[in-house]
Amino acid sequence: MKVLSLYVENDTFIHKLEPITKLLYALISIVITFLFPSIMVGAVFVAFSLLLAISAKVFKRMLLLLNVVLIVLLSMVIIQGLFYRQNVTPAFKLWGLTFYKEGLLYSLLLIVRVVNMIISFGVLILTTRPSDLVDNLVQKGLSPRFGYVLASVLQIIPQMLSTTSTITDAQRSRGLETEGNLFQRFSAFFALLGPLVLNSLVEARERAMAIEIRGFSVEGKRTFVRQIPETKADRWIKISLYVAFIVAVVWRIILWVM
Amino acid sequence: MNSYDIIISMGHMCGQTKVKVLNILDGEGLYMAKNSKLTTAILVLIPVAVGINYAGKLFASALKLPLWLDSIGTMLSAVLAGPIVGAISGAINNIIYGLTTDPVSFVYALTSIGIGVSVGFLAKGKMFNNAFRTLLSGLIVALVATVISVPINVVFWGGQTGNVWGDALFAFLQSKNVGIWVSSFFDEIVVDLVDKVLCVFITFGIFKALPKTLVYTFKGEE
Amino acid sequence: MGDVSTKISIEHLTYKYPFAKNVSLEDITLSIDAGQSIGIIGRNGAGKSTLCYVLSGLIPRFFHGKITGKVTIDGEDVPTMPVEKLIRKVGLVLQNPFSQISGAKMTVYEEVAFGLENLGIEKDEMHERIDTVLRQFDLYKKKDENPFELSGGQLQRLAIASVLVLKPEILILDEPTSQLDPRGTTEVFETISQLKTLGITILIVEHKFEKLVEYVDKIALLHEGKLLGYDTAEHIFSTSEIETYGVGQPIYTALCKRMGLKKANGYYPVSFGETVALLNGLKGSGMDRRTYNG
Repeated sequence: MKVLSLYVENDTFIHKLEPITKLLYALISIVITFLFPSIMVGAVFVAFSLLLAISAKVFKRMLLLLNVVLIVLLSMVIIQGLFYRQNVTPAFKLWGLTFYKEGLLYSLLLIVRVVNMIISFGVLILTTRPSDLVDNLVQKGLSPRFGYVLASVLQIIPQMLSTTSTITDAQRSRGLETEGNLFQRFSAFFALLGPLVLNSLVEARERAMAIEIRGFSVEGKRTFVRQIPETKADRWIKISLYVAFIVAVVWRIILWVM
Repeated sequence: MNSYDIIISMGHMCGQTKVKVLNILDGEGLYMAKNSKLTTAILVLIPVAVGINYAGKLFASALKLPLWLDSIGTMLSAVLAGPIVGAISGAINNIIYGLTTDPVSFVYALTSIGIGVSVGFLAKGKMFNNAFRTLLSGLIVALVATVISVPINVVFWGGQTGNVWGDALFAFLQSKNVGIWVSSFFDEIVVDLVDKVLCVFITFGIFKALPKTLVYTFKGEE
Repeated sequence: MGDVSTKISIEHLTYKYPFAKNVSLEDITLSIDAGQSIGIIGRNGAGKSTLCYVLSGLIPRFFHGKITGKVTIDGEDVPTMPVEKLIRKVGLVLQNPFSQISGAKMTVYEEVAFGLENLGIEKDEMHERIDTVLRQFDLYKKKDENPFELSGGQLQRLAIASVLVLKPEILILDEPTSQLDPRGTTEVFETISQLKTLGITILIVEHKFEKLVEYVDKIALLHEGKLLGYDTAEHIFSTSEIETYGVGQPIYTALCKRMGLKKANGYYPVSFGETVALLNGLKGSGMDRRTYNG
């Protein structure tokens, strides 16, 4: 693994959208699902985000992403179903345990929100080259220095982790105890992490020098070898997202005032 | 002595964990990071800090340690370059983790920021000069992490943390009709307490072993 | 200001790193003409890298510390020169090929673009320059690959290309082959010989003397921060003191010293070619070693 990224290369409509458009969709859909304590609103966004995932041909990958939180989501249903404080109406009994309607509905609300968050961000992550997202943000005004940090972190972490196996081997050959009791294993942790930290900091210093020498600190206008174009579709999607956001906020305020 | 030798001998030094950790506690007092500008060296340090977090997590699970140990990089960057850099490292850590593994991690960026900021300020305030202070600092960091995480747990997970032991306690407290905030607080703190205190000790063990010239490179400009 | 052809002028340069006990460079004075290639040799800790950092402006911009004396390029003061100007004058290539990659770019092509983007070079010119250097360094076929997938030698060529695309007049290479295998080393040296033909002034720190002597006009010998010699390779390596500094010497020179074989000009040969020529000469003239040695 050379780059820490879940990007799936393809040529769908979603892939061709400006990264910022997809980011905006993720953010606004998340905010809206949290503004309204409604399973329906959440479900609508989950369905729409799923549709996007399918049209971008990343549905299978999306399931893998969702798999990560599956157990927590299940435990949520159990714990809230059993112990939610507003539980009054029994829904069903399982192995002698009573599940309550209020708790189950509450856990369902939490689940649609989290699932939408994962799918909407998933669409962005799975269909966008990470460096394009960063370039796009920089072209829209993010500090290039900060952009560098975001872009480099994705490649430098795998680079660092690939050296861990070298360090582990070196320490093992010196008789390092990696099994054994808890204290021995903690010592081993130190012996493994210490050299990695030192080595990476030395390399970080060299990298800083190398990019300095290539004008990283030069102020003034920058150019981009990859210009991310904003299409007509992008513009329309963005406008509709802003409108949806404003409508949602206004509606929420009206509901709240009344 | 080339750099490889230094690294290996440092690994050796670190092998005697106990001695090393206790050694950081006396001595001439820690270097204080004054931070006012994000130099290039500091910007390059941030990805490395995130990488150290990843490596910590990786080693901890490879050695079957019952903890996360995944905030050492954030803490180290805060000690080296100050609270702002600690905060940035923490935030980016969770953004990247969210982008690559687990989108839920995004919202816990706030917790990581809290860890970075608190360690940065504690280092500035010489709160790592002796064993007692370091322990106290560890407890403070754990408390900060918990206080920030609990509202996130409540909003996103109905109070759970996703950690088996913590959630078992949570379920137990909920069944005894304890309030959701209090239950969630205990859920989180049982996990954070040991983890953060250990991370703090490990961070300072490593920091003290770093050559001064290297430490100097990552210091914020005054 | 020096002679018109003087590219780099260093006068009484002394430098001490922050937190260091001793100075790393002490009262260095030397000048380098435009288009020359200079080898810098010395033991570890002799100050070779430090000198590279001063000339490329990393000292005092990146490493602070105390610097005295005068360093100029084309008559202009290096420590105070604006960065964007200095970058166009001096390029620096470091030892470790991996840590020189910016890490922010996902392809070789974009990696080369990194410096150009920083300097705000227009897109058309950017593409033209990148294409040129990629072809020049035989990396064009690799342009869409991830930099971290390249071999050590290819990475080091990428590092050189990424610096040269900024069109510096001086290129400094700090042990560019020390972490490379023989094949990578050959690749890098072939690149250096290409650069010589372009009229670029080259400074190279290198321990592989047999290679080095074939490419440089002069050698600067550093020892404990002091400049002990600055002359042609045969002068530097023919002195008897050279062995006391622990820098080593080309294997051919060591051989000829042992055998007492000198060239007609009274110096020992330093390269393979010279040694072969000398030995062939001996054979052809029918002289034996003793008579030749006088």
